[in-house]
Amino acid sequence: MEALYILIPLGLTIIFAAGAALIWAIHSGQFENLEQAERLGLDDE
Amino acid sequence: MSTSPKTAQQDWQVYDREELRSSIAVATGSRSEVLLGLDNVHCAACVARVRKSIQDLVPDPQVDLSSRTLRLSHDPARLPLSQLLQRLDQAGFSPQVLAQDGGAQREAKANRQSLARIGIAVIGAMQVMMLAWPGYFGEGQDDAGIAMLMRWAQLILATPVVFYSGWPFLQGAWQALRTRSVNMDVPVAASLLIAWGASTLRVLLGAGDLYFDAATMFVMLLGGGRYLEGRTRAVAGARLRLLAARRALTAVREDAQGQGESVPIARLALGDVLRVAPGETLPADGELLDDFAALDESLLSGEARPVTHHRGEVLAAGSLNVGAGVLRLRVSTLGQGTMLSHITRLLAQAQAHKPKLQLIADRIAGRFVLIILALALLGAGLWWHAGADKALSVALAVLVASCPCALSLATPAVFAAAASRLAGRGVLLANPAALERVQEVQAVLFDKTGTLTHNALQLQILQPLAALDETSCRRIVAALERDLPHPIARALAQPEVAGAQDVRLDARGGVSGSVDGADYWLGAPEHSGCELSAYRAQLDAQPEATWLLLRRDQQPLALLALSAVLRSEARETVAALQSEGLRVELLSGDGQAPTEALAQRVGIGAWRARQTPEQKLARLRELQQHQEKVMAVGDGSNDAPFLAAADVALAMPSGTALAQARADAILIGDSLQGIVALRQVSAASRKRIRENLSWAFVYNLVMLPLALGGLLTPWLAALGMSLSSLIVVSNALRLGAGGATRSS
Repeated sequence: MEALYILIPLGLTIIFAAGAALIWAIHSGQFENLEQAERLGLDDE
Repeated sequence: MSTSPKTAQQDWQVYDREELRSSIAVATGSRSEVLLGLDNVHCAACVARVRKSIQDLVPDPQVDLSSRTLRLSHDPARLPLSQLLQRLDQAGFSPQVLAQDGGAQREAKANRQSLARIGIAVIGAMQVMMLAWPGYFGEGQDDAGIAMLMRWAQLILATPVVFYSGWPFLQGAWQALRTRSVNMDVPVAASLLIAWGASTLRVLLGAGDLYFDAATMFVMLLGGGRYLEGRTRAVAGARLRLLAARRALTAVREDAQGQGESVPIARLALGDVLRVAPGETLPADGELLDDFAALDESLLSGEARPVTHHRGEVLAAGSLNVGAGVLRLRVSTLGQGTMLSHITRLLAQAQAHKPKLQLIADRIAGRFVLIILALALLGAGLWWHAGADKALSVALAVLVASCPCALSLATPAVFAAAASRLAGRGVLLANPAALERVQEVQAVLFDKTGTLTHNALQLQILQPLAALDETSCRRIVAALERDLPHPIARALAQPEVAGAQDVRLDARGGVSGSVDGADYWLGAPEHSGCELSAYRAQLDAQPEATWLLLRRDQQPLALLALSAVLRSEARETVAALQSEGLRVELLSGDGQAPTEALAQRVGIGAWRARQTPEQKLARLRELQQHQEKVMAVGDGSNDAPFLAAADVALAMPSGTALAQARADAILIGDSLQGIVALRQVSAASRKRIRENLSWAFVYNLVMLPLALGGLLTPWLAALGMSLSSLIVVSNALRLGAGGATRSS
């Protein structure tokens, strides 16, 4: 059970990193025009 | 949009001028971002061609296929816009520079922000749930240190969710309270703050139940519902923005010789005389020079009926000319102010516009909220004897259980799924509320030209009848039709030919005007007043063609035959609609013979030829009086009144701005099969909405007494709420799945 003393803070750190990465991705416009990107990808073949 | 007036001189350099830049470009540092409309972009291969044509100049152009726009950023000092425009023009895309006010950017930014808020809420809520889970079963409690660590971890994770993701709710509640009113945000904010506050206190004290799980899940689900709802509205807003943008930059100005020329609005001066064709927007405020004019001012004042103005009255920029003829006005107010302020108003209106259901919900929300708050207090009072802890828990459970989360998701989730499904099948849903009415439709009225046939008419025959040769006749015809928005005009106008003077449409659809000092008339041979017996055999030989006769005074000069190409899917679509028991009718402004020939080819038994806009409207009203719901499909400005009055209005993508602004859906795939798709999706979504609403209603009805009875802990209430919301959303998403054919 002692492992939890490390794992929970570690988990928290990873979660905050993930949150920060998500915000960065959204603000750099990676989630825009998803449908069109999909369409283009398919038709370029 | 092929109706936009072509600039006579392709003088792209005008767009490099400083005075225009502020209205067409959004500056970011030394670069400026511009939005261009493109013609001839239909598929992914076209998109690739657009990119290729300017690849060496602009590394990362964003082409949007559904709106046919190109967004690019360039450095005006090093790469003039005119060079890009010229390149695109040569490649055959006829670029149109669109006005911008930074609104699209603001909207994109707001959209990103709400997406980020939801993302954080989802991540946080999931983690809090995991950490809270052992506590539900009393596990992990034997080690006090671990238990405390998990409680602190929940606090750390829940705080950003409540205050960052939940900020819109807190802000909304605060704004309502400050103006001494209540809205739906008030109970949401109350439960968030109570749950977070009480739990934080208990973490600090080291004992007692925590409600972080309930609070975070609450934010996640409510935020998700609002986001979906906002997206559907944004689609309609973006379309309107585009329509507004397309109209804003050029005007037809009359020069000293009385010739019309297209000029950028920035070049207009006070006192200039402008011409505005039917279906076009007034580019500037001005004094009317004609005897009277009919204007649609609904986008400015909300008045739906056309307003008649008389000579000398000042007309407002942004109104639409819905009269039969070109109107002339003298510019009286100028500057960026007029048109841009109009666009801003238009957009603000579009964004503030709420669906009817939402309005009713808002109206009853005030009372509803007070009841919820009263019930929560009642619950706390009933359980006060069991201690403050139990009372707080019951109050929270009531607040969470009575929250109409699933109810608020029920309709928007279905609309969002339906809109995305329809977009894949070539239909842009501008007004989601119309989706419900599509199912009740019993009659479908089609316009002919541009709707059942392809928009472009082609000049098949031009036969001179008198002294004038073919080339001269062709020039006169082009001059007469130059500024008109009708498909016939598009087939006949030539950009290099200057417009005629005193162009007038008469009640029978003829156009008259003077070219080089002589008066001409062009219109249906039957209405020309000329003796036709000599040409009768020729006219009868091709009944499906649209025949026109050009005359000077009473002398016939030439016969012209135009014909339109029938859409390949028209027959199939009509048959599909008829097989569902719908009454299908064809109302055409065109002549008897071509209308009949076309009606036979597509299999429509009931058709009417030579219909004026008033007659089309009258036929529609007649059907409506017999309690029939009517769907109208049209494209031109002469369909506008009839589209506006229809229960469901569909516009073709090549139609005029007026027709599109009034439509509930636009067939962006340029195919009539969108109508069949619309009916199918509408039927499916109606079913889903009913299922969702009844589920959500039953859920709230069952949960509320349980919460009041103290049987429901806050986390159970939150869990139940999530499950019920999840059911509602997945039910809606079933719409989007299966057979998602994409048109390209």
